Amino acid sequence: MKKFVFIVLGLASFGMSPIPDQKCDAESFATSCIPKLANGFNFLKSYKVDGVSKDKVEYSYVFTKGTQYMINLCANGNATDGIVVSIFDKERNKVATSKVNGQFISAIAYPCNATGIYYIQYTFDDPSGHCGGSALGFKR
Amino acid sequence: MRLLVIGLVACLVASCSSGKKPDDEAFLKSLENENSAGPGVDEDVINAILEQIPSPLEISVLLKESGTKYTPEMLNSANNLPKYNSNYKKALNLGVYGTDLGYTNIFGRNQDGIKYISSIKSLADELNIGQFFDMVTIGRLAANSKNLDSLLLITTMNFNHINHYLQTQKRDNLSVLLLTGGWIEAMQITCQTAVKNPKNKELQEKVGEQKIILEQILLLFSFYQDDANMAALMADLEKLKVAFEKVDISYTYQASTMEIVNGVAVIKDNSTTSINITPENVEEIKNITNSIREKIIS
Repeated sequence: MKKFVFIVLGLASFGMSPIPDQKCDAESFATSCIPKLANGFNFLKSYKVDGVSKDKVEYSYVFTKGTQYMINLCANGNATDGIVVSIFDKERNKVATSKVNGQFISAIAYPCNATGIYYIQYTFDDPSGHCGGSALGFKR
Repeated sequence: MRLLVIGLVACLVASCSSGKKPDDEAFLKSLENENSAGPGVDEDVINAILEQIPSPLEISVLLKESGTKYTPEMLNSANNLPKYNSNYKKALNLGVYGTDLGYTNIFGRNQDGIKYISSIKSLADELNIGQFFDMVTIGRLAANSKNLDSLLLITTMNFNHINHYLQTQKRDNLSVLLLTGGWIEAMQITCQTAVKNPKNKELQEKVGEQKIILEQILLLFSFYQDDANMAALMADLEKLKVAFEKVDISYTYQASTMEIVNGVAVIKDNSTTSINITPENVEEIKNITNSIREKIIS
């Protein structure tokens, strides 16, 4: 049922959205990431990662203590296509990254212990298409 | 039959006499609160702040998980819908009802939720954003409590689409009101629950940490001071800010650690926040929140 709803929503949102960027259809990648959130996580946001003409793409969100967040990545070809997602706290300390010992991980689970504004930053390790999407979910 | 024909002709004449098609009127009305951000305000800045505001669903999940009782009396009545005649009130109460719907859904009270779905759809239609609600699918999901995940997913996506759409249409003032209405409703639910459960420290802290959200909301409102309605609401929110100044939040950073579990980078957050809030602070915040909310829903 959830998959059916998702397909209907995906089609509906495609019809209502502006014409996607020809170089990077980040919207589609972002939408495709939503059902890939692990079981038990409630969907919060989807993020377009269009870095075709940029070195990085950044969003921010208030994470709260006692809540576990999950951020995943979707892209063309292999799992992450060189896209790295990192989380920085309000003081710009890096608290999480999806690139571990040279390995690209497609999802981060972040059990937040300190409430505040966090920056969700996407960077690109070339060779990369600089184009993808991401979804944020939460659970208690 | 004759009466029916007369009635139809009368309706036709009435609809033509305004000189505008209904769609035209709706469109013109939707401009009532056309983006009033002052010159020089970067829309990307506004949108970035809007994106930061957490979903009220997070609070509803906390209330459910912490074992608090489902209390529908705390919610705004779906029957208040006819009171909301301006776009200002419609946008605020669309947010309020969105939070109420999330609360009923999280507690699995789908029958209560259906009333809110109907009110949400009406307000959204009147704001010309009703196209984002697929009422057939939502109604079918709401009829069965086993569809909770799907219902939460579809309603969250609907509200996200609405916010993005309003921002692209340069109606982000309505987006700010929608988020603020949702936040105020979540605040009053949290405050009331916290006051009823004084031993639940997590709930007290949850109230206290809203100080961070309020700062962001006030920043958003500062861009719309030319709008009389928003300026008045901002003045009320400033009173809430004064109450929150008694709440102390301190942050200590410590480097996090990480391990890979089943292909997921699982972080251990070693940083901490300490939130100092007293029951008296919660009571004061609750009272101010309720007075603001009363103005919004009445």
